Amino acid sequence: MSGAANPVAPAEITIDEDPDRLAEFEQRIADGVLIEPGDWMPEAYRLLQLRMAEHHANSEIVGALPEGEWITRAPGMLRKLALTAKVQDEVGHGQMLYRVSQELGKSRDDMLRDLVTGKTKYHNCFNYPCPTWADIAMVQWLIDGAAIMNQKTLADGAYGPYVRTMNRINMEEAFHFKSGEDMVLTLMSGTKAQKAMTQEAFDRWWTIALAFFGPHDKPGAEDMPAMRWRMKIERNDSLRQRFVNRFAPAAIDLGLVINVVTKNEQGLVTSATPDEQLGVDESTGQWSFTEPDWDEFWKVIRGHGPCNAQRLALRRFSYEQGAWVRRAIAHGAVVTPPAA
Amino acid sequence: MSKIREQALTFGEELPPPTPDTMHWVVYTCKKPGAPFKWAGYVDAPDEALALQYAREHYGLDEACVGLITHRHEDAIDSEYALKNLEPIDASGTDGDEWTVLTLNRRGGNHQTAGVVHAPNANTALARAQASFAGSKVCSIRVVKSSQVLETNEEELLIWRHHDMSYKLARGYSKQVRSKWTRIRDEQTYEDYRQEDIADHF
Repeated sequence: MSGAANPVAPAEITIDEDPDRLAEFEQRIADGVLIEPGDWMPEAYRLLQLRMAEHHANSEIVGALPEGEWITRAPGMLRKLALTAKVQDEVGHGQMLYRVSQELGKSRDDMLRDLVTGKTKYHNCFNYPCPTWADIAMVQWLIDGAAIMNQKTLADGAYGPYVRTMNRINMEEAFHFKSGEDMVLTLMSGTKAQKAMTQEAFDRWWTIALAFFGPHDKPGAEDMPAMRWRMKIERNDSLRQRFVNRFAPAAIDLGLVINVVTKNEQGLVTSATPDEQLGVDESTGQWSFTEPDWDEFWKVIRGHGPCNAQRLALRRFSYEQGAWVRRAIAHGAVVTPPAA
Repeated sequence: MSKIREQALTFGEELPPPTPDTMHWVVYTCKKPGAPFKWAGYVDAPDEALALQYAREHYGLDEACVGLITHRHEDAIDSEYALKNLEPIDASGTDGDEWTVLTLNRRGGNHQTAGVVHAPNANTALARAQASFAGSKVCSIRVVKSSQVLETNEEELLIWRHHDMSYKLARGYSKQVRSKWTRIRDEQTYEDYRQEDIADHF
């Protein structure tokens, strides 16, 4: 599962730097020059970039959890192999992004401890359940599809180490998305029961995917540090609209119904009615749609989603169970087995 | 959910003591015999043997490749990351240790191996590397003492497996996905939808 670097931006960023150096830095950004680790950068830039990369790394390793649970139950050897490879990829992405974050001044252990104690966040979408195989298909089609849209723009950002890492990650996301598309197409050409299961999973994930890009942009977002310094180059609302323009007609062509849903505390759908706002303006190609439930979005971000506690508990369990391995490695007590 | 994960997970009130980060290693992969090794990513590992194992399991299995090299991050000495291309300078010599030279074609790009120079120290190695390898597409140069570069290939350590691994590549699905889509959508609609795909992939 992919992470997206859309942490909630702090309301105020203090920029207390030499005006000349800051002006030179901002001119470089405006000229399209990428920032490399040895370059001078404002402290606020370093902190924001660290927060972004750390949030993204956290999302990658937490995002692997719901999919990892499905490896043993994936239908058939090929799907098992593919899902295993995908989960391995996601954890690998976490590894790379933690390294980018380390370069910005925070130790890996501090990042893992801050994650399991709830001091730092991961992407909201990973706090929802995946009760069926069709949910895994939707995660790979809709959530990875959304992540690709977002991450393609992040690969056009201004911080060199993040950009090269994002380009590498995106090359693997292409496999995740294609595999997800194949799963959805297969299910929707299957039995009545498979189609019903897929519709139910789509109902659970459509609004999560809409909320994936984050809340509405604040007025003047382009002038705020994240966009002014090209850490983020496209507005949340713009990405969301592009997502709907691409996926709404595809879902309809597949035979899926785009519903407005209500959910219970477990994240399961309790009612679904067709989205009356849904439609396309033929002159512009822009689709209209019903907004996701932003109250639910903020509630989940604050830790009260269906799976927040479960995800963090598993990460913390893993951190504690792995302590002896880290100690052994730190003291050089690891014997490497012969090569296979 | 699985039976194991339905169990209540228990852990102590306090986190275990912190552990220091292990060494950082930079990894490069080679796609075919004779091609340069290109930056692939990083691993954290406490020693050479584990660094190679981790690099193989992570990056050696991401893409079809025939070899990989890795070195400690702190063993790399980088020139400035220039805003324009580095110009060749006048520096030559064959004395001293062998240094592996990697070049960066643009900021935000990926280092790749360019060749070797001999030099008695890092600064001289950088100068001689700039004399030999700077040019139209080099904005920075990295040198690493060759004795500090670990290498493995498919003969020494199995990397990319020899059976069909297309299930972990986008192209392993492209044909069947197109075929399934075009049963329900016309070719042009599918092509328009596909525009948002990632064009460059393993």
